[in-house]
Amino acid sequence: MNTIYLDKYKNEMLEKFADKIDKVEENGNEIHFILKDVNDVPLTCNHVYSILGTRLATIICTDELGIKNGFVLRYVFGKENREDIFIFITAVVSQSLFFPSIALQIPAAALYEREIKEMFGLTPTGNPDTRSLVLHEFPEGIFPLRKEFLLKTKVARQQRQYQFLKVEGDGICEIPVGPVHAGIIEPGHFRFSVLGENIINLETRLGYAHKGIEKLAESMKLDDALLLAERISGDESVANSTAYCQAVEKISGIRIPKRAENIRVVFGEMERIYNHISTLAGISTDAGFAFGAARLYILKERLMQLNESLSGSRILFGVNRIGGVRCDISAQDSRLVISTIGTVLRDFDKIISFLKAKSSFMDRLKDAGRIPRKAAQDLGVVGVVARAAGIDVDTRHDHPYAGYLPRNHRTPQQIIEDQIEMEKRSGDALARFEVRVREVRNSAAMVEEMLDLDCDGTFTGMPEKITPYRSALGYSESHRGQTVHWIMIGKDNSIFRYKIRTASFCNWPIIGHAVLKDIVPDFPLVNKSLDLSYSGNDL
Amino acid sequence: MYSIAEILIGVIQGLAIILLSPLITGIMQKTKARTQKRIGATILQPYYDIIKLIKKDEVVSDQSSWIFKVCPWINFVALATAAFFIPLFLTYSPFGLAGDLLLVVGLFALARFFTMLAGLDVASSFGGLGSSREMMFSALLEPALFLTIFIVALTYGGTNLSTIVAAVAGATLLPHPQLIFAAIAMFIIVLGETGRLPFDNPATHLELTMVHEAMVLEYSGKSLALIEWSQAIKLMILLALVVNIFAPWGISSSITVATLGIGFISLVAKISLLAVIIAYLESTIAKWRLFRIPDLITIAIASSMIGMVLYYL
Repeated sequence: MNTIYLDKYKNEMLEKFADKIDKVEENGNEIHFILKDVNDVPLTCNHVYSILGTRLATIICTDELGIKNGFVLRYVFGKENREDIFIFITAVVSQSLFFPSIALQIPAAALYEREIKEMFGLTPTGNPDTRSLVLHEFPEGIFPLRKEFLLKTKVARQQRQYQFLKVEGDGICEIPVGPVHAGIIEPGHFRFSVLGENIINLETRLGYAHKGIEKLAESMKLDDALLLAERISGDESVANSTAYCQAVEKISGIRIPKRAENIRVVFGEMERIYNHISTLAGISTDAGFAFGAARLYILKERLMQLNESLSGSRILFGVNRIGGVRCDISAQDSRLVISTIGTVLRDFDKIISFLKAKSSFMDRLKDAGRIPRKAAQDLGVVGVVARAAGIDVDTRHDHPYAGYLPRNHRTPQQIIEDQIEMEKRSGDALARFEVRVREVRNSAAMVEEMLDLDCDGTFTGMPEKITPYRSALGYSESHRGQTVHWIMIGKDNSIFRYKIRTASFCNWPIIGHAVLKDIVPDFPLVNKSLDLSYSGNDL
Repeated sequence: MYSIAEILIGVIQGLAIILLSPLITGIMQKTKARTQKRIGATILQPYYDIIKLIKKDEVVSDQSSWIFKVCPWINFVALATAAFFIPLFLTYSPFGLAGDLLLVVGLFALARFFTMLAGLDVASSFGGLGSSREMMFSALLEPALFLTIFIVALTYGGTNLSTIVAAVAGATLLPHPQLIFAAIAMFIIVLGETGRLPFDNPATHLELTMVHEAMVLEYSGKSLALIEWSQAIKLMILLALVVNIFAPWGISSSITVATLGIGFISLVAKISLLAVIIAYLESTIAKWRLFRIPDLITIAIASSMIGMVLYYL
């Protein structure tokens, strides 16, 4: 956190929009600008986005009618150049239930606005696309995230029309794929418009795995909601529970012990390693190279067994708790971790150099699913996908949390070297393959470094009674990218509003751009190389 | 005319291809599993699969016509008929009078033609995709196949399989250099015709990358059993052709129990070895990009062209 920058942006905004800003609040590294009028949102957001150079992290809508506030919109922008600042633009939606859209200036906002329209019934004026997102068989006029919608409400099913983009022309065919697929994967519908084998347009329709997590959390106590957070997307359990715990700890002002912080890093990185290896194996399968996949899956299995011996769960459930960690790492455990990861890494290097020597495999990856950097920037892509397209975003460095350290001061030469490295990344499946390989090695090194633990305990205790309606942003970097959880506490340490935005939500829209120069049989490979979660997106 | 014993052996040869073909598929699957460090199902698994599918009910799309229903039968009958023209462990097939190598290729084409029609017939998007890809492959594979056949036919003076195999069996090692090139071409064609990697992935679950599997995606129950069985027969026929045209040693040229026995054992050993080699190769390569596959077929065509030139030199 950097107070110099906080003050700088505060003064700059107050100077520029003195008549529009009602008040300013600070909360750790968050700076909230509360606007007088919702119609000033586009102007201020655009300033924050393009002049201050931030990325749209999420848009949060809350139904605060019960506390005499109306529907409140919070536009969260993250500064991702190591200044570690989140800028909130907050505005109350007027009685008319319309709010101005910012999607035309900030394309990444389009999906959030659709979500708000569907969940709260607030209409974004000026957003050309307000089709439903997840509630495929919900009756019109029922908005589940409003407080008036009770959790036990039974909703009748209703068929709804969904208009796909129609591509017309000589020889253009549509291929509908899913939502039920031939393999054991999650549900999602893909609508291809093809000319022969060439993909002209791809539209995805998701939401089939919608579970109503955000609504469900509103009835829960803080402890129970942690279990829910872990289960948002099974393979991101540590990232999600870390983000959740950090949000609650920030609200209640708990500072967790150094040892617990380091243990969070260790488990976070172990999660990253096993998932990256799994994705690399998936890429190999989808390129039709079962041998490489089989070898990598063996490594994944060994890591999952290591997970189990440490935490009792193969996918690291139950590692985190509010105020610390539930699962300590003894000296014996750390020796086990270091030796297992060491042997896994040795085999990993062998397999990767074998894969890189396979011309038929490398040829499939090269140039497949190339993501234009401009598109990635406009859509606010995060994680490996962004880094492979040459955008240097990583929450671990941009907004250091837990035991992660802010990146050390770099010499001008190192900065230029990093920039050149980023420029070289072309955003194709091969770049994503290589970024993952590199991250597996980095994470392994990081685990080893972090296992040098302090001895100050793993738990500080649960928060006492928290003042209602306080809120905070928790964030972490899952293996897919930035994960953001925003929590507003209600009465009696319950949750008033829980907004989750996983990396997949940011990254799904890019797939339509990634496949435009590809042919249909390369789609599964491109899809796997992006490694998107359906469950994490649909919530 | 042929004696009763010869006709009987002919019938046995045909039936042997039909009955042993799932075993070859099983051997290939087992080999692939072992190379991928899996234990894999037993080599008898394809038989169990066929029996299981035969017991199952069928689901037929109400959008489909008679073509969809007759396609598995046409496939099976065409390929089973082709099986009777192939000399297996005897240098000649008594049914050789009725058809030669060109007829076998023609029967393959018939089966493939109806499979493609059936893929289009169900009006599902994947069927169409599979059919269009299959047409692209076959338009390139068939010229390559014919060129290869011409080399063999020119070398041995006829397209009749019995003539060819009898002539090869009489010779010592590969007597003509052009046959080496024909063998290279034939090997690539076998991979393409039977939809092995790098052409098509027979084990894929990805609808969008399938070729043969996409065409037959809508089949279930007995029809699927027939389709899979005929696919196995086709593989066995092609392997038997490769073995008997390019490496026929051990094949029996007279009807005695001893020579027939040696012929049978050596044939099974050779075909199994070839199947293992193909399966091993499949494990070592990724599936190629769809539009790079014509390059591979071009290699087959070029190889057979060189063989052709060598013949006239």
